[in-house]
This record gives sequence, C-alpha cells and structure tokens, in this order.
Amino acid sequence: MDQPTIVGRVLRSSTTSFTIGCRQLISEQDQRIPEFGALVRAAGGGDNLVYGLIYNVTIEDDAFVRQLVAAGVESPEIIEDQRQKRQVPVVVDVLVAGSGRGLEIYHRLPAQPPSTLDQIYLCTAAEMVRFTERHDWLRTVLGSVEAPADQLLIAALRNAAHARPPDQRDAYLISAGRELAKLLALELTRLDGILRGMR
Amino acid sequence: MRYNACENLFGRQSVALELNKLTGQVDAMGRAMAGRRDKLAEKMTQARETLAAQPDVSEELKRKIKAARQVDEWRRGAIPLGERLDERRRPGLCPTPHTLIAADGSQIYPDRHSIAAYYLLNTGAIVLRAGTGGAPTVSSVPEIFFQDADLYDEEGWIRTPDYVSAQRNRREIQALADLAEAERTALGGDLAVPIVCMLDGPLLPWMKPDPQHADTLNQEIEFFASQMARLRRAAAIPVGYVDRPDSAYVLRILELINLPIEKITRETLRQGAFIQLTDRVLFDGLAPNERTGLFEPNSDANDRYRLRSDGDRIAFVYANVTRPGRGKGSAIARIEVPGWIASDPDKLDIAQAAIYANCEPTSYPYVLARAHELAVVGQAEKGDLEQMLFQTLLRNGLMPEVSFKAANKLLTGGGRR
Repeated sequence: MDQPTIVGRVLRSSTTSFTIGCRQLISEQDQRIPEFGALVRAAGGGDNLVYGLIYNVTIEDDAFVRQLVAAGVESPEIIEDQRQKRQVPVVVDVLVAGSGRGLEIYHRLPAQPPSTLDQIYLCTAAEMVRFTERHDWLRTVLGSVEAPADQLLIAALRNAAHARPPDQRDAYLISAGRELAKLLALELTRLDGILRGMR
Repeated sequence: MRYNACENLFGRQSVALELNKLTGQVDAMGRAMAGRRDKLAEKMTQARETLAAQPDVSEELKRKIKAARQVDEWRRGAIPLGERLDERRRPGLCPTPHTLIAADGSQIYPDRHSIAAYYLLNTGAIVLRAGTGGAPTVSSVPEIFFQDADLYDEEGWIRTPDYVSAQRNRREIQALADLAEAERTALGGDLAVPIVCMLDGPLLPWMKPDPQHADTLNQEIEFFASQMARLRRAAAIPVGYVDRPDSAYVLRILELINLPIEKITRETLRQGAFIQLTDRVLFDGLAPNERTGLFEPNSDANDRYRLRSDGDRIAFVYANVTRPGRGKGSAIARIEVPGWIASDPDKLDIAQAAIYANCEPTSYPYVLARAHELAVVGQAEKGDLEQMLFQTLLRNGLMPEVSFKAANKLLTGGGRR
C-alpha cells in the first residue's frame, strides 16, 4: 500500500502499554482496523519507534445509545450517525512489544512511551516480517498480565505468517512453535492450546 | 418561621438543604397536587364537552374572537384557520429520500465574577438524509466574543443575557438557512426531495419587552423574516417543534363559546373558565401521527412578523408523535410553520410525516436531540475554556482573578474529603 494506514491517536500511554482512540472501525483504505493481534507502531520521542500489539478493542456506550437499542432503532442513517459521528470513540489497547530506530528492531521496552495524540500506524507486511524475524517478542507477550496473552500470541503469529510469502509461512510457524516449546516447557497444556490455535 | 443555626446529626455546620425540614411541606405538596389534579380533570371534562358540543368555527365565534382582540388584545388566544375546532388529519408516509436539518445553540453569558469579560455562542447542526443510508453531516461552531463592540452596548453596559440569547437565536435560524441552501444546491435544485428544517421551540423569536430598547424585538423579527425568506427560496419547510407545550391557545377559544359577547371584558378574558389547563391535555386523544387543524397565535410577535414578511404569519398544529403500543398513549407536540407552508396541506403532511418518522426511537425528533448535543456547553467544557483563558492571560502579562464571591463559591462548593 502507498500510504501508511492510520489506526488512530494516542489517548494515554505508559512504558508497557498505550491506548488509542479511533474514529471508526473501517479505515479510509477500507481496511478493517483496528484488529486484535495487529502490529502497530508509534513514534516514541526523537527517531525512536514503539511497536505494539492490539490486545483489546472497546466500543463504549452511553445512555443515548442504550435508549436507541431499547427502542429498536432501524433507521440506517441513525445507526451510521451513532457509529461514525457521535463522540463515542473506539478505544484500542496496545501491548508494547518492542522498539526500534529506522530499520533496527529491539525486542525490549522503549525508553519513552508514545506521546498524547501521536498518530499510530498499522505496520506493513515488511515491517511485520522485520519485527518477527527473531522470536524474542514472544517472551514479552507471554509475560503480560494485562493482555489475553495466549489468544494474542495466536493472532499475532498468524498475522506474522500471513505477512510472509506463501512458501515461507509453514516454516515460520514451525520455528515459532519450537521457540514456544522452550518457553513453555513447564506449561504443556498452555503450549498445546497455543499450538492448536496456530494451525 | 424559626431560623435555627444549621446543624446536622453529627454536629457539623453548613448543610445546604436540610431535607428533614421539608418532609411536612412535601407531604402537603403531594396532597395539594392530587387535589389540583381532580379539579383540573373536572374542568378538562367541561372543556371537552364544550368542544364536542360546538366544534364549528361559526360566525358568532368569529365575532367573539374579534371582540376579544379589541377589548384586551387577547394575546394568549389563537385564530382558527379551519372550519372546525376538532379537525383531524393523518399524513401518509414521507417521501424518500428526504432531508432533515436541525440547528440548536448554546451560550456562556457574560459573568462579572469570571476571570475575563466575554461571552460564547456554540451552534450545533445536523443534516440527516433519510433514505440514503449514509451518516449525517454534523457541525459545531463555537464563537467567543471579547471585543468592546460585541461586549458592551452604546451606553457602555455589558451585554445582557437577553441580548446574548437573541444572538444565539439568530445563529440557529441562519444555520438552517445556510444548510438548506447548500443542500438544495447539492441536490441540483431537485425539488422532489423535501428538506425539513427544524428548531427546538417556537419559530418566532421572543424577548422580554424593554421600553428602553423598544426596537430590539423588531430588529430580531426583521432578521428572522430575512432567514425565513431564504428558506422559502430554497424550497425548505421550516418547523418550530415545541415538546410538551404549555400553551392553551385553543382553550382560550373554547372559553369564548359559552361567554355571551356582551360579557367579553378584560376580567372575564383573564379569568376564563379553563385557566390552568393546557391544549396538550385537551388533545391527548389524538391518534398516533394524527394532527389537529391549524391555528394562528394571536401574539404580538406574529403581528410584527406579518409586517416584515409581506403578510406571512406563523401557524401551528398539535400532533401526537408517539408510536402505537408504546407505554405512553400520547406525546403531544406543537408544530409551528410559516403561513406559506400552513396553506399547503401537502407540504404540512410532508413535514409532519418526516417528524413522525424521526421521532420513532424516542418520541422526540432525533435530529433535535443531536443538534442539542452538538451545541451544548457543559460545566466541564466551560472549565476547560476558562483554563485556556487563564493561560492566555498569563502569557500576555495579565494576572487573572475571579471575584471574591466566585472564589468563595469554589471553596464551599468543593465538598468534603
């Protein structure tokens, strides 16, 4: 794609996670964003980049929306008004998975989190491949207490495989599976669940 | 009445509203309201019987209305435009597509206790294109007024709330005219697509009479008439929507029916048989999507509007906008339109049908609810604005201060920890 896809802007952030506000669920390029497990990037001060995985998408409600639902609203214009125009933003939580500078990737926490209103971009396939070339980020996700780690890993690994040419996808998943086997040697049930989800 | 020092059970002072001292009064209030309800119900029965017995707009009734206007101006009455007072009409479905435009305004009045002298207007508007499936266009336009020419009148007094409200009203009707023209242009001038433009409240501007500025209301109505002319040229249908109206225009007419013409005096008009009743209760038997006949308010503002609009006058109907089977049997609204719409039953049908469709979720026009939401300035937002003002005053070398009164309100209004 020519233009990077903007997911939204930062509402609040910390070293280990940040929250984005999005105007709607479909981007201008007609992509479904934000998606669970997607890899996104933000500026983290200077030339630094912050990479993260989307682990929660919340669509909030208020009394007005509840009343419309209770009344059984059917008007498509009212439904689109609620979805696209009312200030009930789509709130997206992102788990920080690594940092970078230029083409360099570091699977460690960034020095600084993204700033308020920083734009967040969906990573391209090339960025996804570069980020997932090494498996060190798996440890960060497995150790997360705020994200649904197992499901997040499954979604992110499937995305990482899909970003690669078809003839490389199976090899990538097998390699990731071997790394997970090392990390979860004492949690075989958990490992089994993740591996099944990766198929 | 004994005035005791404010104490609560814990011995601390300054409890603002001691509810325990109100229990007896509140009980009495409940009993009085029940008694009033019974008396009013009896009067309403008589009013309905009068309407049922003599629904025709007879020549005699017309003479009585004329007499009432001569004796006492009769500003709370209305002129029936049809042949019967109990007319009913139900429109068909509104043509699709059709466009609904609503505008609303909000304000922050000048406050001499604030850190700076200013006032703010915020105009919200929505354009909903029914039948297209697309999201509406919405807008919210804030304006802050701080220049001397805006803030002070010719005698150096700071602008009154009435003045600020009048400016807000101007922006609402102007927003409707702007959007209606733009919409008609976007439609390529296609007149087959109805455009209904709505304001929350009566169409005509209202102001407290001010003997020192007697021409002020005329100026507002002049402006109003100019915007109505724009709406007419755009082939739009302007509507003032009054939810839960308190008016008693038709009841004032009913009072004349059994009053001999020679007994029409200022006193008998002002103490009519049906005071304290409202038209919305009189007409609460309207079926869903049914409306009454047309009436013209006999108001001073309507007279002034006629002089400035080549003879046009505002008229109204009452309509029931609730859905069959909903908990409440009726939701009676007063729908006001200019005379050039009132005299065209098809256009009035379109307006009513569009409003009824838009009231489907909440028994109140969705577009008016959204326009209000786009306009309203809450306390938190006002606080944010004052923070911005605070910063800009500091940056420009000024030391912002609220008044001692405002400062003390902040101290006492903060609550306990």
